[in-house]
Amino acid sequence: MTAAILDGIVLGLQFGILAVGLTLVYGLGGVLNLAYGHMAVVAALVVSLTMEAGLPAAGAVGVGLFAGGLFGLLLNSTLLRAVYRLRGEARVLLSLLLTLGVAFVVDGLLLWRYPTEALSLHIGGDAVEILGVPIRSGSLLASGIAFFAFVALFLFFRATTLGKAVRSIIQDEEGARLVGIDPNRMRTLILVLSGMLAGLVAVTRSMTSPVTVTQGISFTIFALIVTVVGGLGSVAGAFLAGILLGIVNTVSSFYIGTFLTYIILLGAAALTILLRPSGLLGVPE
Amino acid sequence: MRLTRGTGTSFVGGAERHASRSLVGLFVPVAAIGAVLALVPIWLGDSRLMMGLAIGGLLFGCYAIAFNIIFGSTGQLFLSVGALAGIGGYGAALLGDRVGLPLIASVIVATLAAGLAGGVLSWIAVRRSLDVIFTGIVTLIFALAFENLLLGLGGVTGGESGLSVDTGSATFLREQIPPYYLFLGLVLLYLIVHGLLRRSHIGWAFRALRDDEVAAELAGVNVARYRIYGGLIGAAMLGMAGAIYAINEGRISPTTFGFGEVDVVVLVMLAFGGIGTLFGPVLGAVVFTVLDELLIEFGQLRVVAYGALIIVLFLWIPRGVLPTFGSLLRRLVSRRDTRVVDRSGEEGETVDVT
Amino acid sequence: MLEVRSLSAGYQGNDVVHDVSIHVEEGEAVMIIGSNGAGKTTLFRAMCGLLRSSSGEVLFSGEDVSRMPAQKLVRRGIGFVPAERHLFPRMTVQEHLALGAYPKRPDPETRSIVFELFPRLGERRRQRAGTMSGGEQQMLAVGRALMSRPRLLVLDEPTTGLAPKLAHEAYEALGVLRRQGLTLLVAEQQVPLAMAFSDRGYVLENGVIELEGGSQELADDPRVRRAYLGVT
Repeated sequence: MTAAILDGIVLGLQFGILAVGLTLVYGLGGVLNLAYGHMAVVAALVVSLTMEAGLPAAGAVGVGLFAGGLFGLLLNSTLLRAVYRLRGEARVLLSLLLTLGVAFVVDGLLLWRYPTEALSLHIGGDAVEILGVPIRSGSLLASGIAFFAFVALFLFFRATTLGKAVRSIIQDEEGARLVGIDPNRMRTLILVLSGMLAGLVAVTRSMTSPVTVTQGISFTIFALIVTVVGGLGSVAGAFLAGILLGIVNTVSSFYIGTFLTYIILLGAAALTILLRPSGLLGVPE
Repeated sequence: MRLTRGTGTSFVGGAERHASRSLVGLFVPVAAIGAVLALVPIWLGDSRLMMGLAIGGLLFGCYAIAFNIIFGSTGQLFLSVGALAGIGGYGAALLGDRVGLPLIASVIVATLAAGLAGGVLSWIAVRRSLDVIFTGIVTLIFALAFENLLLGLGGVTGGESGLSVDTGSATFLREQIPPYYLFLGLVLLYLIVHGLLRRSHIGWAFRALRDDEVAAELAGVNVARYRIYGGLIGAAMLGMAGAIYAINEGRISPTTFGFGEVDVVVLVMLAFGGIGTLFGPVLGAVVFTVLDELLIEFGQLRVVAYGALIIVLFLWIPRGVLPTFGSLLRRLVSRRDTRVVDRSGEEGETVDVT
Repeated sequence: MLEVRSLSAGYQGNDVVHDVSIHVEEGEAVMIIGSNGAGKTTLFRAMCGLLRSSSGEVLFSGEDVSRMPAQKLVRRGIGFVPAERHLFPRMTVQEHLALGAYPKRPDPETRSIVFELFPRLGERRRQRAGTMSGGEQQMLAVGRALMSRPRLLVLDEPTTGLAPKLAHEAYEALGVLRRQGLTLLVAEQQVPLAMAFSDRGYVLENGVIELEGGSQELADDPRVRRAYLGVT
């Protein structure tokens, strides 16, 4: 049981970071990025290809993160422009549909050109014992990176002016404009950050299990579930929900099986929407 | 695209504003469509493969019309079109094969089950005042859970490899050409149902609640009730189509009714034809069935093409082909500026100046 | 300082304000009064870069700022406090004031001026805007706008939803600011308050300026008295 819980935390931290990328973009006034998981997968692919080309792992990871950020940048400056011109429901619908299209395009291209590529980062070193449970070095590094990322994000959003500016755009776009914040620049920043976070999680996941090009959709769905439970637009919520759902995932998979576990996770998201739509830590509308 | 209050209305075409009030305006085009499509077997009837594709096209036409009622008429973004059809399909198959119900009974019960599911989904969305994004997410969750259940309960559903459907194997439903006409009849029936709905007080309520929910409530329209009607009727239509298809095909699997295989395609078809228009779904179904067949040799790139098409469509022809060309034609014909002046927004609404 | 020439603006093709011209000189306090729906908010939003005007010009200190979006206008020295306030619900008073001076760091001197003006804000530095009362939110909105040290402060119905005592306090605060050299443009429904406070005024009805003049002049005008001061 302890092993399952610890594994759950490892997984959960990564789910959480993944969700942060999605939740931030949603905070931009209802932009739902259904191509999010694909951003992660593309980053993983880039890392894999770069490593095959001879670059050492660390450098390849850097290139991968850059690719993720670039994806976000491109998405923001092309398709999302049409989305930003709208408000409310129309914005949500269009973002949903356009990013769905992107998801298909990327999925198809990846499967066509690199159907068998998978990213797997082997982290050397012996397993470390925590609470009597051996934790592989890969898991340790992955959770360490995820945790560090959360701390960095927390500091960024709370302590820096730029971070506060990003939060302000999410909380009230007009109010932000009134203090001189340019929404376009903030959106670009958020999208780039979101892409990099997606890439980061793809890399950390690959430390424990291979990340294949077919996993785009499942990344998106997991990110969506965590985002919904944590609260759309809340970074702290993503952290909390990530860990909780990570633990639920592993414990439930261990005792009940994967099929039912998936349904439980989906159910958690559905229940959140029905009972407390603002999520665990989101702001009630 | 214009933002108007209400649900997803910016995508809705204005064609219905000019819909003829008389039933002739409904039956004549429907009959014409029926007549044209009835000729297809003459041309393709020899090939089982081709007829199968044609039937598939009609099936998706049914799906698209049903989704049009749910989304276009009542503004509920149901991302579980495939799942609801799957309730019909798997329901009829299991009721016929395992429970031993006669064919027609199986279909009817499965249809009702699907309708009930749709009604419940609507009821939930209405009771919890879910907006578009949450309705979409909840129905998506339903679809994913359903697909997962199908995979997981392998003992009952055959899991990933699916079920072979024995019920109805002795009937005309397994032949090459007759099922085509059954499905054609279904499409025409669905068109008529939708058309009649629009002309009835229910249709009036639909239009009112889609245009402006608050005003509709004030005018006495029980938005909740009509949304549930829409969900119920649309879902029942999906279930029936799914049930009949399952019996026709003789084999179903989770991918027959999956999100990527059904929902996305239906969405594109409807968006292309024109959400909210009566004949848009049929146009979309025909065009995309043909297109799909033409693109079949491209394998994975086909998916890329679909994705690109979705993007192009929603960026440039958001209201769909029928309404866009409809207004173009009208403008050419009348020469005046026929731009409809929208209601001005509330005082707080902003036009993005950046 | 501020000159608006023949400004027309509205939503989705329909103009709500037509051909409006007003001006505000440095050091003045100018009011715009008019009933609900007269177009005051639309006018202000168009002036302050939140809404695209369909025609006309806005000049600030001689510079044409007609097409400038709100975030750039702040840097030019115009602070706008909209009717809906647009605060950040999950951010604290501190954070609001810190952002008010974006992108510059908040000036401690300005901040202490704000806290002097609104002691209640000082007591609630760590409180989140979403949990504050209407009056406190209004103060915060004004305080936030002041952090950028504007030369012109535009307020849209600052006393909406405020109890009379708070409304008076708000205008007292504005008076202090005025004495320190801030130019003010206020749209107000509570006409007597506005009149007591301002030098000059405009009456906006149905999207057009119907009257203008010194506040006392307007206060004595029988039409104004009948329409806004409840005098028969």
